[in-house]
Amino acid sequence: MRRISSVLPDLALVAAAPLVVYSVQRVFLHTPNERTMGTAFKIFFFHVPMGWICMLMAIVCGVAAGVQLRRRSQRAAAVALAAAEIGFLTGLGVLLTGPIWGHATWGTPWTGDARQVTTALLWLVIASYLLLRHFGQHASERLAASLAIFGAVNVPLIYYAVKLWKTTHPTTGVVGSLPPAMWASFWPGLGALLLVSLGLFAVRARQLILEGELDEAFVRLEDPRP
Amino acid sequence: MRQSLLLLRSELRQELRDFELVMTSGFFTLVVLAMFYLSFAALEKKAHLAAIPGLLWLTVAFVGTLTLTRAFDREREADTLRALLAAPVDRLAIYFSKAASTLVVLLLCCALLVPGLASMFPAGQVFWDSPGQTAALVALGCLGYVAIGTLFAAGLAAGAGKNMLLAVILYPVTTPMLMWSLVTTRALLDKNPNLPDYLGQMAAVDVILLGLAALLFEPMLVGAPGRAQARRTARRPPRRNSDAPN
Repeated sequence: MRRISSVLPDLALVAAAPLVVYSVQRVFLHTPNERTMGTAFKIFFFHVPMGWICMLMAIVCGVAAGVQLRRRSQRAAAVALAAAEIGFLTGLGVLLTGPIWGHATWGTPWTGDARQVTTALLWLVIASYLLLRHFGQHASERLAASLAIFGAVNVPLIYYAVKLWKTTHPTTGVVGSLPPAMWASFWPGLGALLLVSLGLFAVRARQLILEGELDEAFVRLEDPRP
Repeated sequence: MRQSLLLLRSELRQELRDFELVMTSGFFTLVVLAMFYLSFAALEKKAHLAAIPGLLWLTVAFVGTLTLTRAFDREREADTLRALLAAPVDRLAIYFSKAASTLVVLLLCCALLVPGLASMFPAGQVFWDSPGQTAALVALGCLGYVAIGTLFAAGLAAGAGKNMLLAVILYPVTTPMLMWSLVTTRALLDKNPNLPDYLGQMAAVDVILLGLAALLFEPMLVGAPGRAQARRTARRPPRRNSDAPN
């Protein structure tokens, strides 16, 4: 069982490689252009999955941080850090592709609407979590964990921001209303990006756990008292 | 509850001795107000309507950070937070007393800030016209800010963390709450009939933030008991009858 779980991340990355190629060619060669937005709409197939993965990673980070606080688990701390790093990267992807799409559709890259602002805030929370983990002292790990929990609480806020506040952003039901041709291109792209993210997340988490175990072994070697 | 009130009384008594927090934060509020007046007084009324919510909540964010930093610096200098954590006091009482004392200081600063904004900018006249709603808005906004701020400021003070990290942590985490306050202030200035709904949403967010912060306070400051310690506590034999109070 342990052996299977150790090769799963590599399997995910290997499986993602052909799926990425397939989804890119499907989006650009076999998906019809949207009537009003034209080619710019193709960004949607990368922007939305990255947004979802960023929120998923923020939730994983928050849950792992909760376990870390509750059980003083170093493994959970490693999982939280790995999730935050992947969330940071996917969030950066969302914040870069969003303005490109917005510029083509709304004529301005940033309208300052609720969804944009709250997504940027979630990314800032993840960034401050990483800053705290990397530059804070040892005791600031617990502080960072609390921050991650607040970051996870921010996720439903982002989801409902579009409903609560007046916004120019597409509503939360836009994916469900896609025509079948676009729908069929959306899922392979989501699957590919999800596999890449989960694979990288698992590899990074394993690396951090090993790093922690190595540190502990080194401390035991230096100070063998029970 | 009783412990919270006792600790709050001690905090307020300490503050009444020299008014350190009220004086420094109040003076800072006045300075920020003066700077805003010099920068934005020449704008049109329409621009004031858009600017006032930002001016109000930016000042609250700045003053709140200053108050929290100074309040916990005092604890750090005398190492009193560690002493309190070691004392047989409910940790939640420590959190609520600290949050309440910070809220009092912040509300006193808002008592300068809101009338200041209302007098300096004609669009702020609404604050005079609806004092009840303004008071509710300011109280709910400050409560949300203080709920999160106290948690992280205490975490930094207890862990001997770097103070500059407070701003790094606090601004991204409190901005959703401040944004909510901003939208509600805009609704108040626009005389939006849905204002009570916005205030209700703010109250709900406050309750969630307070609950979450109260839940995290102890694990963050002292850490949850480890598994081994929890097992030892569970296995500990019951007290003998002779130990029990008569």
